[in-house]
Amino acid sequence: MRPWALVFVLLCVVLAPAVATAQDAAALRREIEQLQKQLQSVTERLQRLEAQPPAAPGLSAIDLARPRQPFGLYQQRGAGQLLFDIGIAGDFVGNITQKNVEKAQGGTFSGQENRFFPREVELSLFGQIDPYASAVVRIEAGEEARGADTGVHLAEAHVTLLTLPFGTQARFGQVRNRFGYSNEIHEHDLPWVDRPNVMRNFFGAEGLHEKGIEMTLVPNLPFYIEALAGVFNGDNETAFGRTSLQAPLVTGRLRTFLELGNEHALQLGVSVANGQTPERLPSTILGWEGRYKYRPESWLHPLVTLTTEGLYSWRQFNVVVDADGDGVTDFLQKKQKNRLGWYLGGELQPWRRWAGGLRFDWSQYPENPGAERSFEPYISFWPSEFLRFRAAYKRTDRTHRDGFDLNGGSARTVDEFLLQASFILGAHPAHPF
Amino acid sequence: MRRAILILGAALAVIGPMLPAASAADKIHVVATIPDLKALTEEVGGNLAEVESLARGTQNAHEIEIRPSLMLKLRRADLLVENGLELDSWAEVAVQGANNPRIVRGAPGRVDVSHGVPVLDVPSTRVDRSMGDVHPLGNPHYSLDPGMAPIITQNIVDGLARFAPEHRATFEKNRQAFLARLDEAMARWTRALEPLKGARVVVYHPQWIYILTRFGLSQAATLEDRPGIPASPGHLTKVIRQMKEERIKVIIVEPWNDLKLATRVAEEAGAKAVVLASMVGGVKGADSYIGAIDHNVNALVMAMK
Repeated sequence: MRPWALVFVLLCVVLAPAVATAQDAAALRREIEQLQKQLQSVTERLQRLEAQPPAAPGLSAIDLARPRQPFGLYQQRGAGQLLFDIGIAGDFVGNITQKNVEKAQGGTFSGQENRFFPREVELSLFGQIDPYASAVVRIEAGEEARGADTGVHLAEAHVTLLTLPFGTQARFGQVRNRFGYSNEIHEHDLPWVDRPNVMRNFFGAEGLHEKGIEMTLVPNLPFYIEALAGVFNGDNETAFGRTSLQAPLVTGRLRTFLELGNEHALQLGVSVANGQTPERLPSTILGWEGRYKYRPESWLHPLVTLTTEGLYSWRQFNVVVDADGDGVTDFLQKKQKNRLGWYLGGELQPWRRWAGGLRFDWSQYPENPGAERSFEPYISFWPSEFLRFRAAYKRTDRTHRDGFDLNGGSARTVDEFLLQASFILGAHPAHPF
Repeated sequence: MRRAILILGAALAVIGPMLPAASAADKIHVVATIPDLKALTEEVGGNLAEVESLARGTQNAHEIEIRPSLMLKLRRADLLVENGLELDSWAEVAVQGANNPRIVRGAPGRVDVSHGVPVLDVPSTRVDRSMGDVHPLGNPHYSLDPGMAPIITQNIVDGLARFAPEHRATFEKNRQAFLARLDEAMARWTRALEPLKGARVVVYHPQWIYILTRFGLSQAATLEDRPGIPASPGHLTKVIRQMKEERIKVIIVEPWNDLKLATRVAEEAGAKAVVLASMVGGVKGADSYIGAIDHNVNALVMAMK
């Protein structure tokens, strides 16, 4: 057995290299054939290319190297990019008025008459949270009382859910309510130095801003219409003040838009807000708005802008009744007060950096009797897109002294010179229509 | 019964026009932020895409008024094709008002065609607004440089194919056919501008750097003091002096910029002010992508004769 095994091992040792050599040769032959085929293919492609007309003269290396095949997206644009935008808007106002108006604190900036002060310095942070939602946080500082230290507060903080079905979006948090045209606009972005009288009278100096949730629907129609519905705490002390979701402030808005060619555009809307006062009495405000712009073709700015807005308020109050005239309250009687206010403004901007306009206001007071009317011509100058100066004269006439008679003063007739300087530092989103 | 039929008929009469036509519904509904991208998307999408533009050719693409009508266009969009590099960042406000999840930032329907573009004028130092309305990511006006069209259209193909992968081959075929036509036109433009190689021009707004570089011309100065900042008399005097010294023959003006001012400066310097299409549709006859570049090349050649 052993000799046979020895012979077998010897044969293996002798023949194995020969077998391996034969296998190598076969593999090499296949490789050479493949290379020949590739060479043939390249030669054919080269011949085809040579047969084509010569390339256009003057094409640069970029042309020749340009991608004709898909390439990777999302290349990095640079290190250290922020994931959200930051902007600061500053708004300083000044006003000069009569002494008696200052005494009565009956000027446009109540309690800040004959002063220059930072009305609003706003830090805005905004951007995408993730593919489904965006967020805005605005922190505001401003002089809230005469000579007081500048107070800082959270002006807005809200999240918008962007990918809801059926053309809807939801926004929740602390918002400036989309009620009418001017309410959601921040002070530095307003087209006037001051918020219109009717908005201040019906919603307070800072307008309607609430905590809650609102939904918008933009249906897929051939014309534009946006429907909005919201539920809020009802914290606004001037108009509501119930501050509880047990009796929430419910808001709604319908907005549409008409374009008459490229040059004329008109936005119309109606809004409603219904809530309760601290006395648990109903308060409803109906608003309407209209904004027209005429922007000649290829102009960078509108030539004519007209804006109007009105509010009508139904509000119940408790009225003290002394039935027998003995000086003691016998019972409280509910009484409804219906109040109206509106304004109409027109602006002409013949040059890119200059605009002038006039606003007329007429407004009753939600609680007090009487009404006020004012007209306010103004002029605006923009040295650049990010800096603006504005000067205005405002004349206000009131039918009653009530509510404007602090410290024995009187503000039935108010003449004011208003000044405004606004700037934007960093990012600022484009303005809506 | 008759009343029910009447009501049904009236309802159909009202609702009918609201429903999109069947053929339009079958197409991919694309909205481009600027007309150049609309034109290029139409070339790539062919019959499969219906394309609208948010901006018009005569407008300044930096400052588009956000009208609700833009939101209406975006409401129906399957894809939003944007220029990027912060030129059309205004579109974000319109997108947010359109309530269309298909095109929000990060969605597959959002197509930024600046990916892969070799961007010029990228600031290499710290930038702030004392330099004017600078673009920190670089000059965004690449779209009317025909040499960039292959990159832009590639991005458009990819965007369209994300929505309709079954049509990728068709989009690519359309793109190749367009690029073949563009190559022919490129040869023509190169020949026309060959004698002007090395020439220097003054521009109103620095948005021509890509096309000037492509054909061997260069920008000597801008009429704007700094990007987006109106010219001061002192700056204009300096520009006029420079134009005279360097014998610069042309001031390029965008359709939306102040032609009167440019003409006055040009006359003062013994030059000509010429309006070029800053976007497709910016001037009469510049109604297609190749047509707009044709117009620009011809106008430039005529003005520099």
